[in-house]
Amino acid sequence: MKRLASATAVLAAALWLGGCTEVAQEPGKSYAGKLDDKAYAGDQFKGDKAKWEQALAARTENQNDYRRAMAEKK
Amino acid sequence: MARMKFICDAERCIECNGCVTACKNEHEVPWGVNRRRLVTVNDGKPGERSISVACMHCSDAPCMAVCPVDCFYKTEEGVVLHDKDLCIGCGYCFYACPFGAPQFPQAGAFGLRGKMDKCTYCSGGPEENGTEEEYRKYGRNRLAEGKLPACAEMCSTKALLAGDAEVITKIYRYRVVTRGKGDEIWGWSMAYGGSGKLADQPGGKA
Repeated sequence: MKRLASATAVLAAALWLGGCTEVAQEPGKSYAGKLDDKAYAGDQFKGDKAKWEQALAARTENQNDYRRAMAEKK
Repeated sequence: MARMKFICDAERCIECNGCVTACKNEHEVPWGVNRRRLVTVNDGKPGERSISVACMHCSDAPCMAVCPVDCFYKTEEGVVLHDKDLCIGCGYCFYACPFGAPQFPQAGAFGLRGKMDKCTYCSGGPEENGTEEEYRKYGRNRLAEGKLPACAEMCSTKALLAGDAEVITKIYRYRVVTRGKGDEIWGWSMAYGGSGKLADQPGGKA
């Protein structure tokens, strides 16, 4: 009886945790249209992904007005 | 790789429609099509909230699942885009989308629907970056210029945040922890004196 209870608990825990798995980001269906350029492939970044990511990260962080206010105080 | 998302902070949104206007202007969106719009609940009553809504670039997008011509794709950054050359304007994506993001311009007399149009996260579409063709079909590609969507960058109260999900979640979390919760964040005591509780203000109901 004890064994059955513990097995049920383990199964329940596995099912419970299964709900936490993240859905795959890759599209499940095929795409039939034209291929798109990478965002960093244009004239500005010339394929330099790291530079492009850095530019976006700086812009994103700039939305944090608490950080901006603290920087202005100093 | 970054996963691009939007967060709208309903406590900060002042319903100015700056995001809607910025989007319209940036992409010269045609009359009758709203890639972004504001939704207000409890309008005119204490506790009113507004939220800016557009395509949320879902991780598991239902529009992609229902499209009969497979015109949707997802970029490396997690932005959901579509090919207008392939779209047949059937409207399935509109029915599938929980945010009402897909829009259909009127393409002629008798209510004929055109090809679907929606928020592109300011990252254009399947055309060469920054070309006139891309601009005509999908609008400006700000992401290729290293910029964030115009709606978020234009937001005066920074209610609308855009960017890597992890980073903007951290910004939002810091805000929530700093400002507290409930009535106190409305600033009742600063505006009218007395307690910070809405219930204590004249005519205020909890």
